[in-house]
Amino acid sequence: MQGARMPGLTDLEARNVTRAALLGRDYRGVNFEMLCAEGDQVQAGAALMRDSRRPEILICAPRAGRIDRVVRGARRRLVAVQIEIDDGLGAISHAAPSNREPGTLRRFLLETGSWSSLRTRPFGNIPHPHAEPAAIFVTALDTEPMAPEAQPIIDAYLDEFRAAVVLLSAISAAPLYVCHAPGHELAFAESRKIRCVPFSGGYSAGLPGTHIHALCPIGFAGGEVWHLGYQDVIALGHLLLQGSPWLQRVISLGGSAVRNPRSLLVPPGASIDEILVGELFDPPFRILAGSQIFGRPLAASERFLGAGQRQITALDISAIDEDEAAPRRAPLIPSERLERVAPPGIYAVPLMRALQVGDAERARELGALELGEEDLAPLSHACFSGSDYGKLLRHVLEQLEGGH
Amino acid sequence: MTESIKLAGGLFDGYRGILGLRLLALLPVSIAALLNTGYQYLKRLALDPASAGDDIRGKIARGLGAGYADAGVYDWLAAGMAHLLPMLALALLTGAFWEWLIARGRGLPPARGFVLIALLFTLLLPGAAPFYHIVFGMSFAILLGSAIFGGDGRTFLSPALLGFAIVQVSFPNVDGAHPLWQGLTGYAGSDAISLFHRGSEAALADAGIDLGSAFVGSVSGSMGTTSVLAVAIGAMLLLVTRVIAWRLLLAQLIGLTVVASLFNLLGDGSGAGAMPAYWHLLLGSFAFGAVFLACDPVASCCTNPGRWIQGLLIGALVVLIRVVNANHPDAVIPAMLLASILAPLIDQAVIALNIRQRARRHV
Repeated sequence: MQGARMPGLTDLEARNVTRAALLGRDYRGVNFEMLCAEGDQVQAGAALMRDSRRPEILICAPRAGRIDRVVRGARRRLVAVQIEIDDGLGAISHAAPSNREPGTLRRFLLETGSWSSLRTRPFGNIPHPHAEPAAIFVTALDTEPMAPEAQPIIDAYLDEFRAAVVLLSAISAAPLYVCHAPGHELAFAESRKIRCVPFSGGYSAGLPGTHIHALCPIGFAGGEVWHLGYQDVIALGHLLLQGSPWLQRVISLGGSAVRNPRSLLVPPGASIDEILVGELFDPPFRILAGSQIFGRPLAASERFLGAGQRQITALDISAIDEDEAAPRRAPLIPSERLERVAPPGIYAVPLMRALQVGDAERARELGALELGEEDLAPLSHACFSGSDYGKLLRHVLEQLEGGH
Repeated sequence: MTESIKLAGGLFDGYRGILGLRLLALLPVSIAALLNTGYQYLKRLALDPASAGDDIRGKIARGLGAGYADAGVYDWLAAGMAHLLPMLALALLTGAFWEWLIARGRGLPPARGFVLIALLFTLLLPGAAPFYHIVFGMSFAILLGSAIFGGDGRTFLSPALLGFAIVQVSFPNVDGAHPLWQGLTGYAGSDAISLFHRGSEAALADAGIDLGSAFVGSVSGSMGTTSVLAVAIGAMLLLVTRVIAWRLLLAQLIGLTVVASLFNLLGDGSGAGAMPAYWHLLLGSFAFGAVFLACDPVASCCTNPGRWIQGLLIGALVVLIRVVNANHPDAVIPAMLLASILAPLIDQAVIALNIRQRARRHV
């Protein structure tokens, strides 16, 4: 499962689509207050929603166009805001922040909607606008199988990337870690708070949980760290240098049902159905948002690129034995296989047992607060019990969050 | 990706795969058990043809045409099958009955784990074990060892180990001294270690036990435990496929070697205290137990420091009991049972230490 090499961004095929969307599930814990209605014409970067509890936090349109549908699910939960793209409407432009005060910089992040690409660990929420992190992590590598490689994309947008990292380092007193692949030299002379750290060694090397565990472990003293992905950093840099939102993202298309696996330039939030037109072999296939390891199946109304999503995987499922669905729930059999795919520094089997029985306190002690769903995805694959440890972790995190 | 994660189903994938691998690893042991059981039986019969009696197993052996005069591989195999197969069949039947009954009561499809339990249990028995002991032991193994904890893979002890331990303590004076089973002391295994106790290496040599025969397994003992060679082949398979933890296995060997050497150096040079580590490894059922009972993935520690501790403990305990308690010459079953019971406690201590370390460096 080697990632396809990126030929260089100039060779990338740009794929245009007619529809894009924001997905509600990408913003955990946000109580959406709509700032737009179906039928509105919006510019790219216009605020479409905000968090009613923290109204400074805005979520902005990925592309210009007409709000086509606001899809709601059970209990009026926001599922998606779908946009019919019309680039003729233009984009909102922002002036670069006038000074380097943390307050000014934070206001810039909040007003441009870039704040919503930050995530806290523990819990994976959007951080509070006035919170102080213990550290900020920029994930500048990608170890998901068949994901686009981060290095050529960062190099192609190096100015944007650097400008944004420098800005992020100034929003708090905490150090900022740029976690990159070995051999991808990044150096920042601008600030002593920016530290570049190489990570290597398989899937877990690219996960924020691994970086946090190594550099700034959390979980016992109530501190939190923030993290964000390199494409969100580039998007922030674009706003900073060009004054307008970055209207592209690089994603990869992979999996056994894909005719021509490759990387593409697509609009953020683009319709996956449209991207996949003409790309797949015959059905049956299963489409996952994300990689083969940490991919989520998609409901029809959510078939759009999510926030931070970097790949689409389409698997040929004609060969998959459907009787795999064991008639009897298999037990958790401890083995070294599990330990080898577990996040570093975590006792896999005790944590899995704690998650299975929902023992939140024990899970916290074993390091659950450093983890996100993606950290446990390999364990869900390697364990025969069929447990989804990502989901179990979320249950436990919700309990812990409630108790805070 | 350094670690490939298998998504497609294969022959040895999934829970069934682990079960399959463990059964496959027992194949060389089973073959060695067949050959040696037949060999021991016919060797004795050749000395005293009148002792055959009307034992059902002896009748089957005769029916299969196993002759004691100039016995060859076929005769050994046939005589071995005449002993092992009826016992295995009965153990399987007992296991299947309970699994079926429990699955029915719980409204679940029956589990398959009893096959492995039955095979392990049978291999621990001497060739002359009475049939009702098998029913008794297997019933305990399935009911107390597995079912009350929720069945396959949810237990905290190896069910076969528990079943056998219960047979061992319930029938300590079983007449293993059926005239045909020279060198066996009932369920305690072979008397080779007692021989060493009494007369050191010379006594072993008198009984026809040398390093080679003890390694290949052509000595008397419980059916599956004599051949260290066959156990080693099975262990390789389990280690390569990572079904068992190499640290636990290695730690047992280290514990055995260190404590045996200590006794050699510091002891008075008499009894089993003078027994070198390699004899501890070759005699009795240590090798079999270390690989197939102590390394049961469900019934052993699941943290790496815990594995080292548990392994060292087993190795040390086996030697200690062998040397100090001459009435319990083999010592493998109680040592492993104790270590298995302690495993969750050891893990708990390791985790508590880990938590304390985490707490110190966290923000």
